[in-house]
Amino acid sequence: MSASSLYPPTLRREPPVSSRRWFAYSLFALAGIGLFFIPAFIIRPFRHQSPRALLLAMTLRQRAPLGTLIAALACFILALVLWKTASRWRKSLLVLTLLLVTFSAVMARLNYFEWMFHPIDGAQFVAQADSKLDAKQMIMAVRIGTEARAYPISQMAYHHVLNDVVAGVPIAVTY
Amino acid sequence: MLHFYLAGINNQNFLMRDRETGTWWQQITGKAIYGPLQGVALELVLSDELTFGEWRTESPSGQVLAPVVKYTKEYDSNWEPDVAKLPVVISFPGTELKSRDVVIGLTIGGAARAYPWDTFAKQSPILDRVNGTPVLLVLGADGKSFRVFVSRIDGRDAEFFLRAPESATDSNQWNLVDASTASQWNFQGCATSGSALGKCLDQTPALKDYWFDWRNYHPETTLYKH
Repeated sequence: MSASSLYPPTLRREPPVSSRRWFAYSLFALAGIGLFFIPAFIIRPFRHQSPRALLLAMTLRQRAPLGTLIAALACFILALVLWKTASRWRKSLLVLTLLLVTFSAVMARLNYFEWMFHPIDGAQFVAQADSKLDAKQMIMAVRIGTEARAYPISQMAYHHVLNDVVAGVPIAVTY
Repeated sequence: MLHFYLAGINNQNFLMRDRETGTWWQQITGKAIYGPLQGVALELVLSDELTFGEWRTESPSGQVLAPVVKYTKEYDSNWEPDVAKLPVVISFPGTELKSRDVVIGLTIGGAARAYPWDTFAKQSPILDRVNGTPVLLVLGADGKSFRVFVSRIDGRDAEFFLRAPESATDSNQWNLVDASTASQWNFQGCATSGSALGKCLDQTPALKDYWFDWRNYHPETTLYKH
């Protein structure tokens, strides 16, 4: 009869502290990475977005700036504790995940859509007589009160959004 | 006052967020779809899609958005045929148009109706009814600018037609006339001669859009056929 059979079957051995820490580390790492990569994967151009996937993407992205920061901090603290006793391949795993978690925390604070389509900061306007636009080019036009403004579509199709004020009215011009 | 920025894409119609609340907005509808302001809709400002030439004659004191020098290389003056070649991610098989067919979309009192651009360009002016409201769709003399008006003069339904020019050299090749008073109307919807002189039609918002996008956000839309 072996010694282990003396334990009542309901009593389970607590996992060692270090495996609980590894488990916590994995959870924080997955959360941090997922908060950035899942919405980035769902909201990508030339792909179909289903209503449920889009809702998930917006929900995660909304929480990503704070969530990725907490996850990254937790990962760094746990990694410090785990480092000493970690085997070599686990050390490389720690480094790799820390890089990904940091990358996610940075990306969650940046708007990479504006890297593809730069916004207009401080829009400039010219009198129509001074515009070099060809007469055949299409524009979007707004008239509020006596103020008339034209937004060339070739420019708006790139910038997509412009915040403007016409005759005191704040408008968002979109194309 | 909110400031909007590009924040993503939803089936090729973009999403924007505002800096002040972080709410997500759908471009085509102006509706807040997620976040603190969810359920709110932005008020639509009446706007036109015109050629620069047409707008210039209408707005002598108008101002034009200047190109941002840094990005002029990114501007594509040939965007229309270029975008038409891009793939689509949603389609509506069984409907009578192809995904990238261009339509003019109207929404009046909750009812949506789409007019295929090619049909419109051939038939202009189009007189139609949307949700009981008489509408007049007109193509400008340049063949590219368009406007949509409520086809009523002093509250009474009116019919319009383009009178054929008297000769090929006639300076007035684009001559919109209403059937009841025979007054002439300009492209801004105002009578320039006849007993209606000085009166203007009410313009109604219209969106030039791809069929797939219009149909996706207006699933109940009807389609003008002739």
